[in-house]
Amino acid sequence: MTRVLGIVATFVLLTPVTLTAQAPARVTPAVPSKTNTTWRVSRTPDGQPDLQGFWTNTTYTPLERPKNVNKPFFTEAEALELAKKAADNEEAQTEPGTIADVHYDFTQFGLDRSQGAQALNLRTSMIVDPPDGRIPPMTAEGQKRTTERAEAAKRRGAATDAVQNQSLSVRCILMDRDGPPMLPGAYNNNYQIVQTPGYVMILVEMLHQPRIIPLDGRSQLPQNVRQLMGSSRGHWEGDTLVVETTNFTDKTAFQGSSANMRLIERFTRVAEDTIQYQFTVDDPSTWTKPWTAELPMEKTIPPIFEHACHEGNYGLYNTLAGAREEEKKTSK
Amino acid sequence: MRQKLAVTIAAVLLSAVPVWAHHAFSAEFDVNKPIKLQGTLTKWEMINPHSWFHLDVKGPDGNVVSWLVEGGSPNQLIRLGVTKKTLSVGTEFIIEGYQARDGTNKAVGRNFLFADGRRLFLGGSAPGAGGTEGK
Repeated sequence: MTRVLGIVATFVLLTPVTLTAQAPARVTPAVPSKTNTTWRVSRTPDGQPDLQGFWTNTTYTPLERPKNVNKPFFTEAEALELAKKAADNEEAQTEPGTIADVHYDFTQFGLDRSQGAQALNLRTSMIVDPPDGRIPPMTAEGQKRTTERAEAAKRRGAATDAVQNQSLSVRCILMDRDGPPMLPGAYNNNYQIVQTPGYVMILVEMLHQPRIIPLDGRSQLPQNVRQLMGSSRGHWEGDTLVVETTNFTDKTAFQGSSANMRLIERFTRVAEDTIQYQFTVDDPSTWTKPWTAELPMEKTIPPIFEHACHEGNYGLYNTLAGAREEEKKTSK
Repeated sequence: MRQKLAVTIAAVLLSAVPVWAHHAFSAEFDVNKPIKLQGTLTKWEMINPHSWFHLDVKGPDGNVVSWLVEGGSPNQLIRLGVTKKTLSVGTEFIIEGYQARDGTNKAVGRNFLFADGRRLFLGGSAPGAGGTEGK
């Protein structure tokens, strides 16, 4: 079996040393490349560390550490075995006549994760702090808000009762990958970074969202100006791009966050092919303490094909039309 | 063609079962309406969030009926070298899937097969995509 794209398995360790392997098939044992300790990040013409290019954060690593794992890192052999199992699982065919089978076969469209570039990671969770790899407990206020949100959703009725009851992603307004923070989903986890003097732009493939981040030290937007993706401001700390985002809305909730979440992202190019992406979630009204996660972004093949989601979103129409048709049948 | 796999994944699996769809497909298509269509491709919309295959299907009475069949996001295919020309208009397909809940001639293509039974495997081995499987 030959695939156009072999998996690029990069193991990101505590130290920014990567072992990269280009394998011809799905998931094969990594062969350490020559460790290059003299590697330095190149500079843009105006002197910024160069983060530009096309990147993917596709991964099998979960945000939170599974409860039956009690160590921060897998061995390389364990990580490869688990990645292979996950790839086999994705390739497995569903049983005809079951709800899970009502779907196109994503392998026919190259959408299983092992068919694209991927940044494999020895970490057992993206969360690195707290050390148990899990989101800290919610505050009483956070729990109350979560309950109230669930009750409000219930009052709005079924998802098919109104287009507004469908999620932002189904309505092609915002996907998890857009963030921030930018977390991978199953497919199209691609990003383009462009730098100009004074700005960094991060284009997220799904749903074709550009985030334009000023670096000139300007203040955040006024508190009463709220945006789905918040308001981002950046600066450099050494070779690390630090981006602070505030001014979120109550329409999005990252893991149950409030509109006053303060998010700090850190982008560090640790190798020619890898950016280490780290983010800290600071939201004292939701969690008892801040928490931090990190995952690598791996260089991928350009370009990014426009994800013009809304224009082709026949699925939303079909879903609502189906619900109306079934209502007609049951009312007869 | 791949065999059905009943894979038991260790509980320690690196990730939960991923959310493939950007919406619930069973809300759009009816699990109780499995269909099998044989027809020729008249148009392939390589669009997001999901691509659509237009097929002309000839019924037993000789009448031709047009169907729209949903497939996956095309972005990764494009990255793998697939273009609009990879599949020619007139290509014959056998599609197993499920019909839309609204009862119209729309379906999700659970499996795309060429007329000779080869599995359409666009990801790594569509004609012209450089792979070998499915050829």
